[in-house]
Amino acid sequence: MSTLSRTMRLNRLPFVWKQMNVQFRMRTLNLLAFGLTVTQPVIFSAVGYFLARTAGRAQIDFIHTIIGSGVMGMWSTLLFTSFFDLRADRREGTLELLVGSPTSIFSILSIRAFANVLLGCVSFLLSMIVAMSLFGFALPHGNFPYFLVSLAIMLFGFWCIGIFLAHWPVVSRLSGLFLNYLELPIGMLTGFMFPVSLLPAWAQWLSMLTPLSWAFKGLSASFQSDIDLPSLWINWMMTLGISLVFLVGTFFMSKRVQDMIRVTGELSSV
Amino acid sequence: MQSENDHIINVENLQKTFYSIRGFWKREKHPVEAVQGISFSVRKGELFGIVGPNGAGKTTTVKMLSTLLLPTSGTATIFGLDVVKDTNLVRPRIGFTFGGNKGLYSRLSGLDNLKYFAELYKLEPDAITKRIKELLEVVGLTGREHDRVETYSSGMQQRLHLARALLHDPELIFLDEPTVGIDPVGAREIRQLVKDLVKRGKTVLLTSHYMYEVEELCDRIAVVNHGKVIALDTPAALKAQSSGDCVIAIQTPNGEQSLNGKLESLRQYLTQVHTSGDTLSLYTQTPSKILNELTPLLEQNVITNIEVRNATLEDVYVNIIKNNAA
Repeated sequence: MSTLSRTMRLNRLPFVWKQMNVQFRMRTLNLLAFGLTVTQPVIFSAVGYFLARTAGRAQIDFIHTIIGSGVMGMWSTLLFTSFFDLRADRREGTLELLVGSPTSIFSILSIRAFANVLLGCVSFLLSMIVAMSLFGFALPHGNFPYFLVSLAIMLFGFWCIGIFLAHWPVVSRLSGLFLNYLELPIGMLTGFMFPVSLLPAWAQWLSMLTPLSWAFKGLSASFQSDIDLPSLWINWMMTLGISLVFLVGTFFMSKRVQDMIRVTGELSSV
Repeated sequence: MQSENDHIINVENLQKTFYSIRGFWKREKHPVEAVQGISFSVRKGELFGIVGPNGAGKTTTVKMLSTLLLPTSGTATIFGLDVVKDTNLVRPRIGFTFGGNKGLYSRLSGLDNLKYFAELYKLEPDAITKRIKELLEVVGLTGREHDRVETYSSGMQQRLHLARALLHDPELIFLDEPTVGIDPVGAREIRQLVKDLVKRGKTVLLTSHYMYEVEELCDRIAVVNHGKVIALDTPAALKAQSSGDCVIAIQTPNGEQSLNGKLESLRQYLTQVHTSGDTLSLYTQTPSKILNELTPLLEQNVITNIEVRNATLEDVYVNIIKNNAA
């Protein structure tokens, strides 16, 4: 790498940090969003736990009850923050300043999505803490390094999906109306809440198109005592592959989105 | 002497059509022509004003020039660069603000807002602190930079907007109604800042509803109505259009008909007559003749007040707009 390109890369680091810093501060100063990050995973964990108990299962499914709730909380946080951030930008009149700046909207939204994914991690961790402290769960014996790799790959998947989602509120003011149609269906389709094998065949096919379902399979597998390594690798590769398709697709879509909103004039909240 | 090459902005027959959706079952696209073929150019170092009623197309024009909207047809170049094709080259060289309290992260401090936008405009990290310090001094916000923007007055927010627009030291600045909703003292401070910008060699395109503001600030003014430029000249030349008219504003609580046809007999001395509420504005070059006829009506309480003054730019503007509507 040339000295110049290294300098340019390093020079962008404050930009990334400043973007994330703004995101974190806005999030913690916004009670609704803060509450969402903190309370959603707790609610999902509790609902999962009590549903499982009501079903009378002697052995509660740790993966779908606890890990699934945590990932669901992460998904929920990412989905809502991706939409609410841009909606707030439109309402506050900052969206047109972002679009009108020399930094591409793709860069801005990628960094924001990354910050949102990190916030989603807080949800995930909280969910685990609640599961262990309130409901007395113990972590199953898995493989910690594999778990870390699976988690990192899953975060990458979430990040790519987050960038994709974050573009929709830029396109249309009405996109927020579809939030609730996405939250639970995607949660079900990706197997966070119960095994995908319980879904109809067509839904199982659909499930294979989302990187999150593969990511969740990988994460679940890392908790098994006897890990099927080839299958774990397939899950990782599929997550990375489909996520990259989303990422590259969103990159090209981003330019179209910018041109589209410049035609429709949907940048401001008027 | 300035040549064509000195023009920083060149706008040729610029048009913008939006589409609104009508109907529920049978949805129809209804075109709304916000800008209908505007042409003008702005010279380097000039302070150019665009005035016009609400919905005239001022903001749409500014948004097209600042690359936020794509024109439906026509061309616009800035520094010789096409605002549609060369967006990425135009953006680092322009700054813009839109009037009102929007356009800032209200829960962050003024300093954080500036730092954030400085990053978006790719300022060198080492230069950011110095530049922000300078600008806070310029806009008079030193000492308040750590406070949240939501605690700022409208005037302070507008000054922060201006600082934000100047972060990357742009050559051209678009100011869309910079003093809207600001008290007279705050507005005067903003006007002074705008004057200082021009003194420092910046080119400014400003839109406003306030005629005294554009008269005080602008080198040239374009009057826009229904998306078209209907007059374009220096404030002095526009005022000269009134041909030395004098305005006699009379208040008639019972309306024009209470003058019992008096106005008709005076028509030959009047160049224009405009009604606004219970006030009639009579434009004339022979005020004494009009006053002789109207003074008795004052005694009879048909007229409750008479004010005589020279035509202002606002009078000329009202004239231009009303004639255009007619």
